[in-house]
Amino acid sequence: MSDVLLQAENVGIRFGGLQALEGLNLTVRDKELCCIIGPNGAGKSTFLNVLTGTLRPTSGSVHFLGRDIAGLPLHRIARLGIARKFQIPSVFPSLSVEDNLKVARWGAPSPARTIGELMGLVALTNRAATLAGELAHGQKQWLEIGMALAIEPRLLLLDEPTAGMTPQETLATAEMLLRLKGEFSIVAVEHDIRFVRALNCETLVLHQGRLLRSGPFRDIEADEMVRDVYLGRR
Amino acid sequence: MIARDRNWLLIFVVCVALAILYPFLADGYQLTVIRDALIFGLFAASLDFFWGRTGILCFGHAAFFGIGGYVMALVTLNDANPFGGLLGIVGAIAGAAFVAAIIGYFLFFGGIRGSYFTIVTLAMGVICQQAAVSWSSVTGGDSGLIGIPPIEFDVGGRNVDLSQDLPSYIFVSAIVAVVVLALWSISRGRWGTVLTAIQDNEVRAAALGHNAPLRLLVTFILSAAIAGLAGALYVCMAGLVAPDLSGLLLSTEVIVWVAVGGRGTLLGPVLGAIFIQRAQQTISSFNPSLWPLLLGCVFVIIVFVLPDGILSIHARLRSLFKGRRQA
Repeated sequence: MSDVLLQAENVGIRFGGLQALEGLNLTVRDKELCCIIGPNGAGKSTFLNVLTGTLRPTSGSVHFLGRDIAGLPLHRIARLGIARKFQIPSVFPSLSVEDNLKVARWGAPSPARTIGELMGLVALTNRAATLAGELAHGQKQWLEIGMALAIEPRLLLLDEPTAGMTPQETLATAEMLLRLKGEFSIVAVEHDIRFVRALNCETLVLHQGRLLRSGPFRDIEADEMVRDVYLGRR
Repeated sequence: MIARDRNWLLIFVVCVALAILYPFLADGYQLTVIRDALIFGLFAASLDFFWGRTGILCFGHAAFFGIGGYVMALVTLNDANPFGGLLGIVGAIAGAAFVAAIIGYFLFFGGIRGSYFTIVTLAMGVICQQAAVSWSSVTGGDSGLIGIPPIEFDVGGRNVDLSQDLPSYIFVSAIVAVVVLALWSISRGRWGTVLTAIQDNEVRAAALGHNAPLRLLVTFILSAAIAGLAGALYVCMAGLVAPDLSGLLLSTEVIVWVAVGGRGTLLGPVLGAIFIQRAQQTISSFNPSLWPLLLGCVFVIIVFVLPDGILSIHARLRSLFKGRRQA
């Protein structure tokens, strides 16, 4: 029990008449990697928003290190050790790459990596002085991952980290995450099956706000029901 | 980034040198004109520190100028005060900061940003002016308070009397130089970088562990405190305080000074304030009705042609010629 980082129990959320999520459970242990997949509108991003405390669930609870995080201000959640990468690349366009990472690092209670190490990690060392708004799309995504790493998270939540990336960039991102896996837990919401296949980790499949299947990706990929609902439509 | 810092320091040093040389070239009256313009320049810099770094426009900044002025007047006119003008200055700064803290707390932590913030602060300015008019037992109503004594203090056994032209000019110039330099160091360092990040994407900055509303609030309080200081200086130099000092007209003028001088440059707004006030005096002297028309035109032209203010004219011209050559 002691190595449980994040525990979501029976999470449900209702937007007016729409039951967006229902009865979802998720336990993330320390240094674990897991993926959440599902077709459009399955509730993946909503679930991630609940996990980061941005959305308060209408039923159930989310605990991080034994503490209920629903409704905490964003910066407090970040300081507990939850980093988040948004779906749309949200870097600070009018700051340089280096300043983007500095801002991220200043927010951390006890940053361990230097700016140089972070830039190396996300392959942006030679773009240090470039304004983030001028980076290519894939580089922005990587910069944002770098910013998430800068706060020394215990848990990294990624919302479609490879959206808009080329196949090569997608695989490179998966490799980077596999390298980082030993340091902290990662939960990735993803659309791109190649990416999830490359990560080859514990996978949850959402469908219409409920859990459809969960298990290692190989089993999920072979599952008839999942194929019908999701993979078969690709 | 580094080249920009060097350019800024260069312009700053040139301005300080000009300020030092000016008393040798000007007579007493001209000194007092520049001194008063510098006080308004300090006021413009205080607005720029907030507006330029956060992108949020305060449309009632004269409220803090006026609060500073009234506190200064009330403190110095009180016979029980043994410290004179210096206590007045401290009180003016504290008073403006206090009001900014209360209003800012509800606005920033209530999630009020952008044009909503501008509208609420506009109303705040109107309320302050109305209070100054209506609360006549304290503020003297429409006619304000007169007979505010100049500041006097001892430095190393020598008495400094700020009712004289030269000492008051030096006193004001020194304060403006120190405050502008301090604000610049704050805004180019860590504090300013995080503010720029908040301006770009507040949610993202918060998700990285930054308490964005608190940082905006502290910046706002600091900005208001300096506006209060400027108000106090103006009142003790002019010897009177009136409701106009917290009015909508002054709030609008200071926005024009900042926009003309260059938002986010701190030094530009000071120069903008001096430049526009000089132009106003010159033009009004031969045709009083021409000035508002010209000011409006200049403002519109600046917004369209030089959105970064007059200090950017050099960079603007360069990019224009570069574009020509490439085409």
